[in-house]
Amino acid sequence: MELQWELILFTTFIAWSAGLFGAQAFAAAFGQAKKAQLISWIAAALLLVIGGVAVFLHLQHWERIFNGFGHLTSGITQELIAIVVFAVVAIVYLIFMKRSEDGASVPKWLAWLAVALSAVLVIVMAHSYMMSARPAWDSFIWVAYVLGNSLVLGPATLAVIAALKGETDFKQIGLWVFVGALAGLVFALIYAVFTQMVGSSFTEVGLYFDPVHPTKAITDINAVIGGQALLLWLGAVVVGAALPAAAAFVARRKGDANSWKLWGIVIIITALIGAIVMRVVFYNLGLSVFMFY
Amino acid sequence: MQNVIVTDLNRCVGCLSCSVACKSANSVPVGSFWNKVLRIGPNPKSPGAQCPDVEMYFLPVGCQHCVDPECVKVCPTGASQKMEDGTVQIDKSKCIGCQFCVMACPYNVRYLNKDEGVIEKCTLCEQKIAQGELPQCVEQCGARARFFGDLEKGIENLEGPGEPAAFGDDKSYEAMAKTRVRLGDYIHPFSEDEVHHLPDVGNKPSFSYILRDRQWYGEE
Repeated sequence: MELQWELILFTTFIAWSAGLFGAQAFAAAFGQAKKAQLISWIAAALLLVIGGVAVFLHLQHWERIFNGFGHLTSGITQELIAIVVFAVVAIVYLIFMKRSEDGASVPKWLAWLAVALSAVLVIVMAHSYMMSARPAWDSFIWVAYVLGNSLVLGPATLAVIAALKGETDFKQIGLWVFVGALAGLVFALIYAVFTQMVGSSFTEVGLYFDPVHPTKAITDINAVIGGQALLLWLGAVVVGAALPAAAAFVARRKGDANSWKLWGIVIIITALIGAIVMRVVFYNLGLSVFMFY
Repeated sequence: MQNVIVTDLNRCVGCLSCSVACKSANSVPVGSFWNKVLRIGPNPKSPGAQCPDVEMYFLPVGCQHCVDPECVKVCPTGASQKMEDGTVQIDKSKCIGCQFCVMACPYNVRYLNKDEGVIEKCTLCEQKIAQGELPQCVEQCGARARFFGDLEKGIENLEGPGEPAAFGDDKSYEAMAKTRVRLGDYIHPFSEDEVHHLPDVGNKPSFSYILRDRQWYGEE
């Protein structure tokens, strides 16, 4: 399937936004990273807006979305509902945060609700791509992978903001970034292995010929899968998942704000590269089960 | 009611008339198809067999107007709909061009019309069947291999265009369009295990293909 860049950016930025909001709420539940709360909220909102703009650019007739929009079995409708609920809770979170004594605290119930809804948004968004028509997409491993994006990007961004805002205690945040990066690596590895094993899920018809595309080669699914190996393993797994985990390990060992500024940015950049490269692989392997038309 | 097309692949000669007729009747854009004929094979008749012990068949593929269509489930606006006559149709005025139905189709038969910004695919010539006519690909099939009708009335009752001899003295287009043959009266006998479908991933394709004495490729 041809690359859908708007959707690649949409899913990346929403995973990042939800990850950051979830991470700041998680930190708030433990009374951590207070100096980073407001900036993190603004950054998460900006990322949500960028993702929203990207998805609107994907729609050919966005002006028609109110013309019958709301078919509940549709993943897009479910995404929209999740985003609206997420945004409402984020606004409530901001109100509680601004009204708190230190301007950076929220009730625990709200913090955990924000964490849960951040996860729900990412799961719903990734789940909308699970389609039985496309074997390389049709697995909860994909959902776990996108959740892994959030788990590494969110805490790492929170750590960088905290470092820039003068936080000095990175013991707990550092652990969250490291655990998130490890989870991202594990999910990336599992999804990478899964994509290499889907070849048998496609229909085989032996030799075939499409008279309206007489010069087009026969699709060899194993060659298509093999052709993505470099992007997948080097781009998405080594650069995009192993490097963030290694950078998180280094930053956590050093533990000071300057290290988190440097290595935190390294984690964000490499994890973003990985998230985008994996989505490129995702579309390149997104052939329909009957791929001959 | 479930309107379908059943194709007798032992009769299909791969002339592409269905594909061309469809493009002509439905103004399908250059480069896009609502109906395409693939050649499956030549494949060995038995494992390891060499030429000339090979066989092939032609496979006209388009929207299968599924019983449980995934494209309808994923459509956010209800633009893709399962109609009372069993066909799957797109209300273009509701389509936002999100292309999730394109992704959800196991057969890849939907495409984005970039000029209109909406999704298109085979309509089973709804403008024709609503007037009691046959879909254009059935009417113009060069081998009289395609038959159309309500599957719930039995596969043998599907209809194809009539033989010219049956027109009588009236050789007009209208007479030709009204003259029919029944599948059960016209094609060679077949057994139930010779009726095949494109792969089913839960969508239950309603179209079927009759293939005798040859191996069907692609799981049911």
